[in-house]
Amino acid sequence: MVFFGRNAGLMPEFPSPAGPSEIEDVVTEEAAIRPPLGRAVAVTPLVKEGDTVARGAALACLRHAPDVCFAAPIAGKVARMSLLPGRRMSEIVLFRDDSGGVETHDTNKADTQSGLRRLMQDAGMWPRIARRPFGGMPHHAETPAAIFVMATDTRPQAPNVQKALDGQRDAFARGLDALTLLTDGPVVLCHPEGVPGVDTKAVSDRIQFAPRGTRHPQGSPGICIHQLYPADIDTPVWDVHAEDVAALGTLLTTGSLPMTRLVSIAGPALRESRTVRTHIGADLRQLTQRIVAPGPHLLMSGSPLDGLSARWLGGRDRQVAVLPRAAPARQTHWLFAALTQSAGTRPAIPTTALSQAFGGALPAAAFIRALASGDEETAMTFGLLSLLEEDVALADYVLSEGGTLLAQFRALLDHVETEFAA
Amino acid sequence: MIRGLWSRETVAMVLLAAYLPLGLFWLWLGGVDAIGRLGLSALVVAFWHLVFMLARAQAPSLAALITAFAIAMLAPEDLGVFRLALGISFGVVMGELVFGGWGRNVVNPATVALAFLGFGFPSFAWPIFDAPVAWAAIPAALIGVLTGALSAALLGGAGAVALIALAAGLLPQDALLVSGIVLVLLVADPVTSAATHLGRWINGALYASLVVLFATNWTGAAPVQIAVAAALLSSLAAPLLDEKVLALWIYQRRRRHGRT
Repeated sequence: MVFFGRNAGLMPEFPSPAGPSEIEDVVTEEAAIRPPLGRAVAVTPLVKEGDTVARGAALACLRHAPDVCFAAPIAGKVARMSLLPGRRMSEIVLFRDDSGGVETHDTNKADTQSGLRRLMQDAGMWPRIARRPFGGMPHHAETPAAIFVMATDTRPQAPNVQKALDGQRDAFARGLDALTLLTDGPVVLCHPEGVPGVDTKAVSDRIQFAPRGTRHPQGSPGICIHQLYPADIDTPVWDVHAEDVAALGTLLTTGSLPMTRLVSIAGPALRESRTVRTHIGADLRQLTQRIVAPGPHLLMSGSPLDGLSARWLGGRDRQVAVLPRAAPARQTHWLFAALTQSAGTRPAIPTTALSQAFGGALPAAAFIRALASGDEETAMTFGLLSLLEEDVALADYVLSEGGTLLAQFRALLDHVETEFAA
Repeated sequence: MIRGLWSRETVAMVLLAAYLPLGLFWLWLGGVDAIGRLGLSALVVAFWHLVFMLARAQAPSLAALITAFAIAMLAPEDLGVFRLALGISFGVVMGELVFGGWGRNVVNPATVALAFLGFGFPSFAWPIFDAPVAWAAIPAALIGVLTGALSAALLGGAGAVALIALAAGLLPQDALLVSGIVLVLLVADPVTSAATHLGRWINGALYASLVVLFATNWTGAAPVQIAVAAALLSSLAAPLLDEKVLALWIYQRRRRHGRT
């Protein structure tokens, strides 16, 4: 069957037990910040181990762009600061201590482009934005060609974005209007069909509304960007989650950036699934402590498709996947191993499942072949620069590649990046 | 790491399941002779897969069974063991294994083997199928399309041209039945047919048009010979069709966005 338009995509199902529908507020006893995925970033620490910091206080800033700060997700004491060689940040761990208070920022100059940019960088909003091409947070002086606000998330077991926005609609509208200051291009709001999440007449006319379907990857930022406003080397496109836009709106009115977000905890290794309102860098062990089923399990920050095994909730993640840890593979007979696996990767067969894994947005078979053969020019014409791992993860899952496709994708993207940086 | 379903071997298994109705009907009507041919071709194909596994570390694929089945079903009759083994060896090695195995081949190995046998030994008669076997291609196509392993667009393109040709009286009954079997078995192979949506429509239409062309103008040709020749030519044209469709896609995107 071939589906087109907003019906394109798949609905991969992962087992997960039911759970209570009410949302619990959790502040974990420990929290940590880690740099965004992608290139390692060199930082200058602004605090020492043992210091007590306020929620939202700057813990470190980028070494070559001191404007861009990483903010403390909870008030507390700095427990450990690990830096890798070259002052590249590994993680900064905090112990909770509510006496630290809340950091407020001066919002007087936020009505100009440079003032708003400065405020967002100071308050720690910058790492919440992803840029394309290549991923990671935007360069400190970069002007995007367009900004995509994602008010929809079609990943399996993702929390409902509209539920996350409940109670902060005004802040969301204010944040949307503020984003129009940062770009000369459009601000595109991707939302579920019929639910824009904001009063369409009350916001700036530079905001475009893009209704998206319910199947994955319709709500994947890269697929939306690829279809509506493709990113290129000279035209970077940012994407930011709607909840973070609402946080920006709150920052503009109150001067302090909210750190909380709606997170769904699901997976087959749980006794019951949960939806909690917690913060960036939350301790995943504490979040899952009472609900995980007995036996070895794997905690992943992110969806079951694109999540990574982690101790802390990632800076842009809104899902925790808890999977049973697979038993180590048994040694197989050499002949059986030769029959079932070989040194080289196996080719992908173009089926309907593969085309739908990209939502019909690009020629899937040709794109996969370009990735496998390392043909960067062809991959770029098919939309390599608009995509990130989270957009390709479904294809990797569907083809049962176990991460091979993602590795090929990242290698190609890194190669393009070094080539164009030279 | 969680893994999905559609690895190369799963697609091969789904295709095998889809061809099951066709195969069972053919074996039922063909009897011991059919079983013998299937066994021989499976043996030869498996031998070459084993050779390439040991010599080139190429993992063998269950798709080998599909190749063996297609050759056993469509090869000229009474060839004898040596000629049949020679034809299968040529098709499987030159059509598939030298390219890196199933999934990297340009033409279907069964098509190559059948074309080789047809050109090499023209004095042997091509098989004739009873109507029930040809009808069994319909459930095969349905299973394939519903699971997404066979392309609905390709079958649709071929079906549309076939309907027009039938209405115009250009497609004789026997050619229609046999070309249906060849369409499902050889032309709709997801690896060697076009991989873009529009390309698949054109690929199917091209195959059906070639069948009509040969059926009306190739005097003395057997229906299987016509269908295999059309399958070979249309699968050779598939990369070109994809190339043109992708060029059109890129052109449209450049016009809309100013970049790809």
